[in-house]
Amino acid sequence: MNHRGGEAADAVERSNGARSHRRKWLKQRRLAKVTTAIATAAVVSAVGMGSAAVANASVVNLTWWTMWSGSTLQLLNQMTTQFNKTHPGIHVTETNIPSVATTSTAKLLASIAAGDPPDIFTEWWPEIGEFAADGDLDSLNPYLTGPYSGFEKWEYPVAVQGGTYKKQLYAVPMGLNSWALYYNKSILTKAGVTTAPKTLAQLDSDSAKEWVVTNGKIQQIGLYPDTAGNGFLFYASFFNALNCFNSAGKYAYESCPGAKTLMNWIASFDKYPYAQLQAMQTAAGTVAGGQTDLFTAGKQGFFLSGPWEGAQNIPQSGGKGLQGAFGVIPFPGTVGAPSTIGQGNFNIVPKGSAHPQQAFEFMSWLAGYQNEAFMGTIDPKGGWVPGGPSVTKQPAYQAWLKANPWLDPFLPQMTSPYSQAPALTPTQAEVFNAMNTATANVLQKIQTPAQALQYIDQQGNS
Amino acid sequence: MQATTSLASPATVARTSPRGLSRQIRRRHTRVGLLFVSPWIIGFLAFFVYPFFATLYYSFTNFNGVQTAHVIGFTNYVNLFHDPLFKTSLFNTFYYTACELPLSTVVALGLALLLNMEVKGRAIYRTVFYIPSIVPTVASCLIFVWIFNPASGIVNDLLTGAHLPGPNWFFSIAWSKPSFILLGLWGLGQPMVIYLAGLQSVPREMYEVVNLDGAKPWQRLRYVTLPMLTPVILFNVILQLVLCIAYFTQAQVIENADVGGPGTSTWFYVQYLYQEAFEYLKFGYSSAMAFCLFVISALIMVALFKSSSRWVYYASEQQ
Repeated sequence: MNHRGGEAADAVERSNGARSHRRKWLKQRRLAKVTTAIATAAVVSAVGMGSAAVANASVVNLTWWTMWSGSTLQLLNQMTTQFNKTHPGIHVTETNIPSVATTSTAKLLASIAAGDPPDIFTEWWPEIGEFAADGDLDSLNPYLTGPYSGFEKWEYPVAVQGGTYKKQLYAVPMGLNSWALYYNKSILTKAGVTTAPKTLAQLDSDSAKEWVVTNGKIQQIGLYPDTAGNGFLFYASFFNALNCFNSAGKYAYESCPGAKTLMNWIASFDKYPYAQLQAMQTAAGTVAGGQTDLFTAGKQGFFLSGPWEGAQNIPQSGGKGLQGAFGVIPFPGTVGAPSTIGQGNFNIVPKGSAHPQQAFEFMSWLAGYQNEAFMGTIDPKGGWVPGGPSVTKQPAYQAWLKANPWLDPFLPQMTSPYSQAPALTPTQAEVFNAMNTATANVLQKIQTPAQALQYIDQQGNS
Repeated sequence: MQATTSLASPATVARTSPRGLSRQIRRRHTRVGLLFVSPWIIGFLAFFVYPFFATLYYSFTNFNGVQTAHVIGFTNYVNLFHDPLFKTSLFNTFYYTACELPLSTVVALGLALLLNMEVKGRAIYRTVFYIPSIVPTVASCLIFVWIFNPASGIVNDLLTGAHLPGPNWFFSIAWSKPSFILLGLWGLGQPMVIYLAGLQSVPREMYEVVNLDGAKPWQRLRYVTLPMLTPVILFNVILQLVLCIAYFTQAQVIENADVGGPGTSTWFYVQYLYQEAFEYLKFGYSSAMAFCLFVISALIMVALFKSSSRWVYYASEQQ
């Protein structure tokens, strides 16, 4: 009781107390309202998430790491969208991992070691053997059952060969490469040659006529077996020199007749200035983001390449002069029949993948298995050879072939008995690099052909 | 009221005596100091000490990055010393170091001396000479390949115009390493700035004294400037030595698909180490390579520091 000021003071005090009490009450009420609102929101969202979780529990989410960019990435996006639409139980999310040297390999290894790898990874084929030998990949054999029991028979033989290690399938091609010889019609004509070569001797002779050197500077070249990194390996199937092993299973290129013939043929080009040619190729490669090579720049008469050269590189590099002015023939090697090396970009399932079965389902769909109609429309856009021949029979693919007669040599080679894929081994990457180095060394007269083959064997058997 | 006294325990006496108090304070200061330094210590242990000893361990195994490592003894080291590419890469790296290190020291110091002169527009010159060092490495590599392209580059065009032979630069076995050395000399902005800073710290009185004795510019440089700059020279030499031994990015970018350059003439040690680890998945072997590199680098550094007592002049030691 406030004894000062009497009743009035008491009244004021009571009034103040009442106001204070009321303010406190209002505050508490506001606090309660806010708390209730937050709690309600939390409950609702938890229920919502729970519902979504319940709903999504039936959808398998796959992560796919790929190395592509640009127009190829756009095609991949179309493929992923179509797959997600037609497979409501699986949702694929694609992530672009730039393949700069070994960046993507390092990322993949780190993810496997961390126990969190992607479900699918697109790999450049030389490393598949290493990964498989080291136990970094899941075998796909357990999934070749039921609707997929006919998958290996559906594929091109070289596709199966290129993805198999010790009788286990580890990789499925995203798109296969088929190699043939492009020729520039106008360069050939100016060299006084009326028809494309049919034998190796004719090719050598026609190619020699196409070289133009002015004041010590190369203006134009014929065929050169080390343009754009296409060395020993990519010519090997034409000389029956691809898989040379001895009875102990060791690499034996040094004693392989086909390999000796091929390396001696490569050595016949050592009369041309290697350094100048590499410089020319580098200069061409800096144009149009690397899509240009000497052939698309109109400076090369003969060039070993795949369908993407005519389907993408020539149109995209601005080589308009080459449109319709080039032809393609099977490489006239020594095996006497069209052939090619079966390699390309393969999809693999890293060890520790959360959903390997669904990953295989997606990979086989990408290859075109039970998806021929759609891939028949996509593969032409990428200039790809699909994993199986039935895709090429689709109307869209046939229309592409008909509209581009220069594509004729590529497909028959895929089923040629002379076509092979490089055998998957633990040292496949070393062999691939060694072949490139050996080719360069022979062209620069640093090694003799015999020494170069010995070097390849040493690297492969290390 | 009766005052009471009680005898304090020895521990209490120790704690509360002046000596005890200062020990307490010192301990507290130590604890606080350690607390402040702990982030660095943790980082040092996690990112240097552990990887160092892990690398040493893996160098005795067949570790492939994923599976369990199995100890194989000294096999990796034995294979290393029989590996021709190991010797090639070591030779290339030390060839580059032996050429680049003295050249970069002389060029950077020379530039700093020039840019220390009192001339009009000095700030502009300093900026111009510093800019190359802030161009990203990959960009500068691509520019150099383009400029020095023997087929279409401007350098060979100028040489041809002057009736001089234009070499094949990065594409030639003989000229590939000199091309990389030239690339290294282009980006000397940072050591140049450090030398410039060192030049500012040379006392003016010393120049006044030698001027009174009639010293010529060359004598001033030799008897005043260079001795006073020797600590800065040592610092820059150490930095450049580390960069040279660990040379990687430029070679990897420029060589691109032609790994190792023409005839493996620019196959540098760290490139080879990287290829063994991340392309061939031979982490055990590459760990052995890394440890060898550490030993070699450590020996060089020890030799350098030991020699520094003969040629490095610390003004503070003389006082």
